[in-house]
Amino acid sequence: MKLRTTEYFVKEVAASLKRNNWMSLASIGTVTISLFILGLFLMVVVNLDRMASTLESQVQISVYLKDDITKKQTDSLEEKLSSLQGIDTVKYISKEDAMKRFSERLGDQKYLLSALDDTNPLPNAFEITVKDPQLVKTASKEVENFPGVDTAVYAQDVVEHLFDLTRLVRLIGLSIIVFLAGATIFIISNTIRLTVFARRKEIAIMKYVGATDWFIRWPFLLEGVVLGFIGSNIAVILLRLAYIALTQKIYDMMTFFPLIPLYPFLTYVTIIIILSGIVIGALGSVISIKRFLEV
Amino acid sequence: MKSPNEINIIKMKNISKIYDNGAVALDKVDISIKRGEFVFIVGTSGAGKSTFIKLLLREILPTSGLLLVNGYDINKMPRHEIPYLRRSLGVIFQDYRLLPNKTVYENVAFAMRVIESPRRLVLRSVNSVLDVVGLRAKYKCFPSQLSGGEQQRVAIARAIVNNPSLIIADEPTGNLDPETSWEIMDIFQRINAAGTTIVMATHDKTIVDTMQKRVLAIENGCIVRDEASGGYGYEA
Repeated sequence: MKLRTTEYFVKEVAASLKRNNWMSLASIGTVTISLFILGLFLMVVVNLDRMASTLESQVQISVYLKDDITKKQTDSLEEKLSSLQGIDTVKYISKEDAMKRFSERLGDQKYLLSALDDTNPLPNAFEITVKDPQLVKTASKEVENFPGVDTAVYAQDVVEHLFDLTRLVRLIGLSIIVFLAGATIFIISNTIRLTVFARRKEIAIMKYVGATDWFIRWPFLLEGVVLGFIGSNIAVILLRLAYIALTQKIYDMMTFFPLIPLYPFLTYVTIIIILSGIVIGALGSVISIKRFLEV
Repeated sequence: MKSPNEINIIKMKNISKIYDNGAVALDKVDISIKRGEFVFIVGTSGAGKSTFIKLLLREILPTSGLLLVNGYDINKMPRHEIPYLRRSLGVIFQDYRLLPNKTVYENVAFAMRVIESPRRLVLRSVNSVLDVVGLRAKYKCFPSQLSGGEQQRVAIARAIVNNPSLIIADEPTGNLDPETSWEIMDIFQRINAAGTTIVMATHDKTIVDTMQKRVLAIENGCIVRDEASGGYGYEA
């Protein structure tokens, strides 16, 4: 594209934004709102996703051992467990360790243990974690058949519900994002349509004197992109402020909540939102101008 | 595909145009117009004049037949070549079609700007065509400050600024009083004398009768008369 043509396009866009100032403001506003909501969902979905996978990865299988096995049998069992496919960690918890943990968990109610006198009803156990949470079910089944193993249990319901929940959140988030993107494209295309309509005579004359389709399209495309760019930048500023404030609030209440750290997360969100704004703006204008080019 | 050196600038062979609603606008028209000719297209409203002009501009496609305009085969040319066909033509309408928020100079320069002509060339060419139509002094005026005749002269300047070899004028004097009409015709004659072909659809009996140029009369979609130097032939 030639320099003076670019200059001409920039002038056209500036004039058009000025001419339709209220509509331009309105579309920037809708882009901002839509992309802000879109960004919020994105952040929530990604955070939930991460939370779910954190919880998923923490799901462990408790392998309770029979009381009558020897130290040697225990060692060989440990070896066998470690060599299983997909196993991440294997940790031995003796009945003494288990009792200690139990009494710690009881806290102020420790006195309850006195009812046991000095007997320890807790079994020796292995706690194993798996690399892929999907493996929990099969791994626990397999381990139960090992000699010396009494039972192998895990939080079956929790794991399966967690999978359902993450799937649901992803699905809902995705549909809302698709819907919002569609609505934003529609609103931008309407704004550009006003510009196109205001300049329909000019477009007709351009066609008669031999302007190419792209020459006619560029200023409108640029206008859409500018609207999308400005709107998405405002949305990004709001999103950044919101996320920083929100993480601060949550950390104040729950220090170890598995939120995604600010950086580079916010940088990615910024890039995604601004790119979406530009693409949405361009799409909106392309849709609205298509009809007017048929002269 | 383009061969601009042909003798005929327009060639219609067996051209028919039937609209989607079944109306036959042109019926097997066979004509050719040589380079440098001045041709009037006459006929009552709805006889097919507008269709004739729209075909030349490739606003619509013929239903059947062969149509060559300035070396372009209208049926076969791809969409992206349409702008180049139109750059080789100058179009003038009854309602001038100027941009109201642009000055005389800008309106004419617009035709050059959209085809990305160099700025220095724009300045020179616009001034020169404004001289041709006698509006150099009013280059800063907006269309609303001009009379109808002056506005049409701006439109002519815009049509000729890219040096087209063919001017297509659709009722260019339709909105003008007789005296002003003659000013316009005078400019057309000068442009034609310089070698540019002119095809002009008109209702103006006096102009056609006085100028004694080639006349194509269209009736019900057919060419009913083709005279080398004819009159209007209808009662006005």
